[in-house]
Amino acid sequence: MMPGTATHSKDLLCFLAVLALVGTAFLVSLCVGAYPIPLTELIGLVSGKAVNPTARSVFFTLRLPRTFMAAAAGFGLSLSGSVFQTVFRNPLASPDLIGVASGASMGAAYAIVFWGGGMAAVSMSAFAGGMLAAVLLLGLVGLSRRRGMATFVLAGIVLNTLAQAAVMTVKFLADPERQLSTIEFWTMGSFSNVTAGKVRAILPILLAGTLGLYLLRRQTTLLSLDEDESRMLGVRTTLVRYGVLLCATLLVSGIVCVSGLIGFVGLIAPHIGRMLLKRNNFDTAVFSGLVGAALLLAADCLARTCSAGELPVSILTSALGAPFLAYLLIRKGDTI
Amino acid sequence: MNPPILLEAERVRACYGSREIIRSADLYLREGELVALLGLNGSGKTTLLRSLCGLHRLSGGRCRVRGIDCAALREKARARLICYMPQRSGAVYSIRTEEVALMGCNPRLPLFGMPGEGDRKRVRSIFEQLSIAHLWGSDFLHLSEGQKQLVILARAIVQDAPAMLLDEPDSALDFVNRHLVFTQIRSVVQGGGRCGLVTMHDPNFALAYCDRILFLQNGSICGEVEVARASRSGLQTALSQLYGNVEVLEYAGGYAVVKS
Repeated sequence: MMPGTATHSKDLLCFLAVLALVGTAFLVSLCVGAYPIPLTELIGLVSGKAVNPTARSVFFTLRLPRTFMAAAAGFGLSLSGSVFQTVFRNPLASPDLIGVASGASMGAAYAIVFWGGGMAAVSMSAFAGGMLAAVLLLGLVGLSRRRGMATFVLAGIVLNTLAQAAVMTVKFLADPERQLSTIEFWTMGSFSNVTAGKVRAILPILLAGTLGLYLLRRQTTLLSLDEDESRMLGVRTTLVRYGVLLCATLLVSGIVCVSGLIGFVGLIAPHIGRMLLKRNNFDTAVFSGLVGAALLLAADCLARTCSAGELPVSILTSALGAPFLAYLLIRKGDTI
Repeated sequence: MNPPILLEAERVRACYGSREIIRSADLYLREGELVALLGLNGSGKTTLLRSLCGLHRLSGGRCRVRGIDCAALREKARARLICYMPQRSGAVYSIRTEEVALMGCNPRLPLFGMPGEGDRKRVRSIFEQLSIAHLWGSDFLHLSEGQKQLVILARAIVQDAPAMLLDEPDSALDFVNRHLVFTQIRSVVQGGGRCGLVTMHDPNFALAYCDRILFLQNGSICGEVEVARASRSGLQTALSQLYGNVEVLEYAGGYAVVKS
């Protein structure tokens, strides 16, 4: 028997299980909400039979785009979280902890207040903000001359703080009636304003980021070694790190500009992925993405149903994420 | 006739800031030769090795592998000429041993390319050559330090570069594993088309496994012995210069060094 066959079939089982979870969560998410669509009606809608026009309108303009976006956001945040943790060689790196997400929301807040808040302007500004944070992070780490794991986290804290200061400044200057609440919506994250048009607009960005990460998957694994080691294996580390970071930032910024900040999913899902698959490569990153999709779909369903109004989704992901981090802290095990 | 020279360094000079670490080092490696670089802590062993690798910028002189000046090359082209074995690999996440070894294909693959079935077959036969076929499919992080170094050695063989530079590959190993790893390194270097330069601390291992020994002191190479031709007294003089009072004993057809 080939060694590794047993683990291979176990991996396959994990993949099938998480796909089933994503599918179930997707279906549930299509059904629940302020206007519930029962499963029978859902089948009618998909097969094109005549049903109640309100249900049709709710389904196509709100429910389906929202569900798709929650799944895509969970997938993208977790995929890029997994990639961040790999290239930074730090199991605590994630788009929100190292400042990319808050950089993006700084860009978005700026566009809301100073550029009229149009969809295209906000997306581009969010992307620019996220990218700026990523470039500043690499610059800061380069200046510090320390290549240890803590350096990236510390640099991330610096950038997070700076971005937050910028967000506060913009908030201070914002019109309290309209703009301030729009910025607040950003920082708590929600899928309630997702429309088919927004999803169509950012889909190419998400696909481009995912494709880039897919193409760079082998280089990403090479970057998980020591700097010297990967350079001696022929990797132009700085250039490749920029490429990977660009793709991951593209993905995160694309999501954040529609959903606002969503905490912890990008940090936790890769841990679950590595715990279950017991390895770290692009398969694990994709698996983590699926785990993240299931998690965020579930969180969004709860956000819609557990109170009379809409709950911001970051409340749920953070409330779920912090205990999980505590569990990672105290559990017995050699590696994170 | 002597085998051809694969690596040749001339008047290599290396600095950290304004501090000169390597003054002027000349060395060459012939095909099939495993050469030890001995020196006390702080003598510049690692800096010299890193400079030859291109990891540390040369402040003067040059290093050529097969006649090609390495300083002018990009990482990928250089990785086809020089491979490097660190004290220990920096892998932090679980990864399968064969995936670690397959990383050696990188210098020959396009940026987005993936290793194919042929590469996997080659890695498998290299694992068999190093007697680590049973480690195929295991998690690299769960291996012993000795097994890890053998997997890294497999990766270096996959990389197939003429010059192998090894930075204290035995520093994390126990006595038995050091012998095991050096035996394999020696047979790889003698296998053809390769030469090796290894920094280490224990002169006994240098005497047992290397063809020549270079002595590094205060940033320059202060002596050299060819192990097979050296006399006991010649060795004693050379080693005493570096280590102070040492005694070289004849033992089982070879030599052993003890500090007196």
